[in-house]
Amino acid sequence: MPTDVPGPNVLAPEVLTYDGIVLAPGRAPISGVLRAGEIAGLAGLEGHGQEQFLLTLAGLKRGGETVSVMTGSGPAVYRDHHAAARHGVVYLPRDRRTTGIFPALSVLDNFGLPSMRRFSLAGILNRRKQRRALAGYTDFLSIRYPAMDAPITALSGGNQQKVLLARLLALEPRVMLLNDPTRGVDLNTRLKFYAAFRELARDKGIALVILSSEIEEILQVCDRVQIFHDFERTAIIEKAEMTMSGVMAAMFGQREDAH
Amino acid sequence: MLARLFAGREDTRLAALLFVVLLVLNIALNPARFAPHNWGSVLGLAAPLLLAALAVTVPFLAGRGSIDVSVGPLIGLVNVLIVKGLILGAGIQSPLLIVPAALILGLASGALNGFLTSVLRIQPIVATLGTYLIYSGLALTILPSPAGSVPDWLRALAGPWSVLPVGAAVLLWLAVRRLPYYDLLMATGSDDRAAYTAGVGVPRVRFTAYLLAGLFAGLAALSLTALIGSGDPNIGPGYTLIAIAAVALGGVSLAGGIGGLTAAFLGAADIFLLQSVLTAFNVSTFVLQMTYGIVLVLAVCLNSEKLKALIGRRRIAA
Amino acid sequence: MSRALSSVFSNRALIAVLGAVVIFAAGAVLIPGFASLFSVRAMLILGSLLAIAALGQTLVMILGGIDLSIPFVIGFANVVFASLYGDGLPAPATFAIVLGCAALIGAASGALSAALAIHPLIVTLGIGTAVQAGVQIWTRGLPMGSAPQAINDFVSLGGSTGPLPFPPLVPFTLLLALAILFVLRRTIYGRKLYALGASPKAAELALVRPVALWATTFALSAVFAALAGILLLGFTGSSSAGVGTPYLFQTVSAVVIGGTALIGGRGGYIGTVAGAMVLVELRTVLIGLGLPEASVQAALGVLILALVAAYGRDQHIRNLI
Repeated sequence: MPTDVPGPNVLAPEVLTYDGIVLAPGRAPISGVLRAGEIAGLAGLEGHGQEQFLLTLAGLKRGGETVSVMTGSGPAVYRDHHAAARHGVVYLPRDRRTTGIFPALSVLDNFGLPSMRRFSLAGILNRRKQRRALAGYTDFLSIRYPAMDAPITALSGGNQQKVLLARLLALEPRVMLLNDPTRGVDLNTRLKFYAAFRELARDKGIALVILSSEIEEILQVCDRVQIFHDFERTAIIEKAEMTMSGVMAAMFGQREDAH
Repeated sequence: MLARLFAGREDTRLAALLFVVLLVLNIALNPARFAPHNWGSVLGLAAPLLLAALAVTVPFLAGRGSIDVSVGPLIGLVNVLIVKGLILGAGIQSPLLIVPAALILGLASGALNGFLTSVLRIQPIVATLGTYLIYSGLALTILPSPAGSVPDWLRALAGPWSVLPVGAAVLLWLAVRRLPYYDLLMATGSDDRAAYTAGVGVPRVRFTAYLLAGLFAGLAALSLTALIGSGDPNIGPGYTLIAIAAVALGGVSLAGGIGGLTAAFLGAADIFLLQSVLTAFNVSTFVLQMTYGIVLVLAVCLNSEKLKALIGRRRIAA
Repeated sequence: MSRALSSVFSNRALIAVLGAVVIFAAGAVLIPGFASLFSVRAMLILGSLLAIAALGQTLVMILGGIDLSIPFVIGFANVVFASLYGDGLPAPATFAIVLGCAALIGAASGALSAALAIHPLIVTLGIGTAVQAGVQIWTRGLPMGSAPQAINDFVSLGGSTGPLPFPPLVPFTLLLALAILFVLRRTIYGRKLYALGASPKAAELALVRPVALWATTFALSAVFAALAGILLLGFTGSSSAGVGTPYLFQTVSAVVIGGTALIGGRGGYIGTVAGAMVLVELRTVLIGLGLPEASVQAALGVLILALVAAYGRDQHIRNLI
């Protein structure tokens, strides 16, 4: 099992290293690194461990592994998602309705909840600063909403998802862990997302890990994809070798050593 | 289903352990009181709390905040109505009238609580708090201070025949468990949305839960009337909090779907026996009260699934 | 203007405020002397005491919990304050000790409920019972002592604040309401409170720490209950461990009439203040109509149910799917 995967951005600095992630008892541990500006895909049949892998990176699931993020003063190991976020590793949950949005709260609150500390003094919010930040991300992601004070439920699913993405961006992340980010989102929004992902990776050097249930999506945006089968990472396919059939075969546990 | 049953057992294990310990302690401290010929009166003493605990359990099973805090005042109101209205007022002595009257009053209250919560959709704690105030106010208005006496047959329900009201409740509960209604109740309590989607009439199930609570409270009122042998507007309301404490101790989940008669009775018996032990040591009511509070908090902490999960995880990590 | 208004009061709170006005008008018509300065002052003082006691209940219910320990903490503060002050401790120190202990009691309830996922109803009931019994054991059931003069003046029926014919308690409660409005709307704590109450899972993923927030909120609840207990000492003149008993249901009623839903994530303190006034006015009307205490209680139960049925109803299960 390769611990370091050479790729197009092999010279970019490492931002995240993980070691000894075991997804189920007795399975082979998973290690690797994530480099700045890399877009890594995670794929597998539903329930083959890719979600646990992502959650572990996010600090939301704990086992015997170590996940560490490079900081200005060397690598920092984190043990929960609060510490992860503090070091710039942020997570987008899969189920927008039950674990993403706060239905009763406004667009502004839905956007600003985790990043409030950046927009406050002594616990008191600076709403103007917060609004300015949201306005910036509104342009970047072309979010549509009637007003920042409107309830989030007044927005379409795609726009709600954009607000959640803006929520993460406001934390000024270096690593974004996205759990099926375009699930239940219309095609236009989807394309907007892909463009945003590429831009974030290219211009800001953010490393993205995207778990997707759609292979098309992985083929379109990812630099490489890690395939999970039966709670092990069974293959890593580089962009150049990525094909629909190749990824599918790996997901079903067939080794494609033919080439 | 099997998992649910097992989970239920696990929840009552602590209460069962406590029950055995307290029972042994009680018998050791006071063998005469717990001798077989006294079992009737011991059960008679415990019966109002046992039945009140069963009454508060049923709405808890129905989930989503279902709760009946009016059980205590209802017991008091039925007690007052029986003694002041039937026995003193109309001179009625016959069990054939008094027993059905108590049960019908209980059912009527259950119907009222069910109507307020399931039909009007007032949040259960607010609705039953409203009826709490109404029942306790009515009881005090009807009979401002303790008075009256009860016929011998009723007094016997707290002595040699105390098994009758408790036994009736047990039989009733066993019958409910055999009905399809029981499965609907537990399904509603565990996940009301899923149950509703699957076609369960969730409001109707909850309404019926309040009816059952009223019925058990009616039985509790009979036991209490038998025990105190008079009408007393001040005793009933106190049963609400202690019954809720009892069922929590017994492992009934306030979130719904977990618990039953065993849990309610074990929790109530624990509190009764605890009281009995402490009385044997002649401690003040304040010490008694403090012990209740501490035992309650400790027991629910130890029963907590989350605590078990935390400990379990630590063990695996170590 | 109307938008500004509706942003200050959520709808249900507005209804509660209107309710307080309507009931006041009805009382003034029905009962001679109801609108007299003496009666209004008495109602404002009682309403303020209830509003302060219900502050914490409001915060806790926004969080989706319930605090049954409020009456016990009121009794605790009432008796312990009187006792310590009576033993010669200076008033500020007594104040700090009592509020500090209350905060610890509340924090313990909140932290236990959240950390172990136990229903707060049980935890607060258990801890409250134990605390009250502890106080009784300490005073052997015979509480002594009284409040310092400053507190008596603060809540006195005959008091005035500058040119205002009310004791300082009334303007204090108003300021408190405004402060809480600000805290709930414009501080990190306030926004986290609504988020965690509305959706615990989403809030945890959005970097809210549930245990810390529950501990803080229940601590606040206990602190304001204790404050109410100390003020009650000034109001009644002598201490009693049972002084808080009516506040168990009254705080819950005031909060619910004020439009805060028990399911969490909605509501606010302005509504609770209005709800407290509604309750106090209703009581005064019923007593003014010549009803004995027991019937007042029953009638109050009916009226609370009628009010909540009119505008405080839950969603049908079909709308929750």
